[in-house]
Amino acid sequence: MDNKETDLVIKNLRKTFGKNKVLNGIDFELKEGERVVVLGPSGSGKSTFLRCINWMEEPTSGSIILDGNEVTKKNIRWVRQNIGMVFQHFNLINNMTVMENLTLAPVKLKMMKQAVAEKRAMELLRHIGLPNKANAYPASLSGGQKQRVAIIRAMMLSPEVLLFDEPTSALDPESIEDVLELIRELANRGMTIMIVTHEMSFAKEIATRIVFIDKGKIIEEGTPDEFFEHPKTERVKEFLEKIL
Amino acid sequence: MDSFFDKIAELFSTPEYIDSLLHGFLLTLQISYFAILIGVALGAVIALVQVAKKSKWTIIPKFIFSIYTTVIRGTPMALQLFIMFFVIFAIKGFPSIITAIIAFGLNSAAYTAEVIRGGILSVDRGQTEAGLALGLSRFTIFTKIVAPQAIKNIIPALGNEIITVIKETAIVSMVGMYDLNMAAKDIGSGQNMASYIVPMFVAALFYLATIYFITFIVKRIEKSLRKSDMRIEE
Repeated sequence: MDNKETDLVIKNLRKTFGKNKVLNGIDFELKEGERVVVLGPSGSGKSTFLRCINWMEEPTSGSIILDGNEVTKKNIRWVRQNIGMVFQHFNLINNMTVMENLTLAPVKLKMMKQAVAEKRAMELLRHIGLPNKANAYPASLSGGQKQRVAIIRAMMLSPEVLLFDEPTSALDPESIEDVLELIRELANRGMTIMIVTHEMSFAKEIATRIVFIDKGKIIEEGTPDEFFEHPKTERVKEFLEKIL
Repeated sequence: MDSFFDKIAELFSTPEYIDSLLHGFLLTLQISYFAILIGVALGAVIALVQVAKKSKWTIIPKFIFSIYTTVIRGTPMALQLFIMFFVIFAIKGFPSIITAIIAFGLNSAAYTAEVIRGGILSVDRGQTEAGLALGLSRFTIFTKIVAPQAIKNIIPALGNEIITVIKETAIVSMVGMYDLNMAAKDIGSGQNMASYIVPMFVAALFYLATIYFITFIVKRIEKSLRKSDMRIEE
């Protein structure tokens, strides 16, 4: 693991909303092929942390370095093309069909010609079992279908890292497993993943590393085994007692 | 009742009356049409500035436009019309139709700006975030994602504003302009039919028909825009 090229380095990341200090200095590294699950109580800043990485929220201070390049206003679009994001509420573009959702970015960003993008999109749709939804609008899809389309939409750009911000929190129990299965598959194919989730058993199963955030700081990190079986801090022990 | 129908027959069989009505109606349509064009164009500009991010480029226009909409929406239209006629464009020989168009256009812009601004803001923030996360430019996000969804929210209220403008132009008769409303009053006056009921009734029908037509068009547009909301595939 250690000799692998480092993808993402975050140094002393801070974020405040008005007077509210949400992130209080986060240092973090993500290496290629890692699958990091970010856990923490609600309001701990874990979603904000994830959203700061691709500047969905602009960090107040600190630096984010992707492949040796510091993220700035100037290169943020390049960064976002390399760090895909999947949202809690799917955020499929409502005025576009599933196919248009999938092809918009790769074509607009001149990464693919329209025909190539459509072919690739169709392959991915077939893979998730929704080829018949290509010309449907998001309003006619179920939550689970929307989220799976959102995941393949992010994959269309072949990002280096995929961020999942509570991808199953807005889903019914039945759809959750479909979405988790797709994430699991990406993981097995070696995708570098960061995920904020409340699905503990999934976290245990998929993570190569667990990061625990509380009050805007990383309090503890380690392998799932270390984290769940031998927590080092009182705060994590308390957290685990409540949820397990 | 007999005299009512007699009067109707009289109105429609007297070419001068018909001529007056049509002239008045034409002026009403001209003022409304150009005022709405100005209103939508200027309203869109104001709305775009208002929803733009605060920066050194937008801070002054934002301030000016917010005063503008506050003043326009906070004072009577009739007073604004008087100010245009008797203060700002109190120039001999200046065509009154232009003055009226500007007065109604500037007034409508303030309301239209609010309608458009509201329409843009009502698009879910997640839609913009989706575009940002895909690395799209702000311009692409606005033109391809936000604007098409905003228009759907804007059309019904904009239709309402258009209707309001058409009816409100009737106050140009207060500054002596010969619009549909004035024509009705003129035809009904002592020198002409010496009865107001029929010309005013007919003028009302003209307004009503125009607005019914506008409503019909707006409904059609709304319907065609709603296609992406449908839950069933076509």
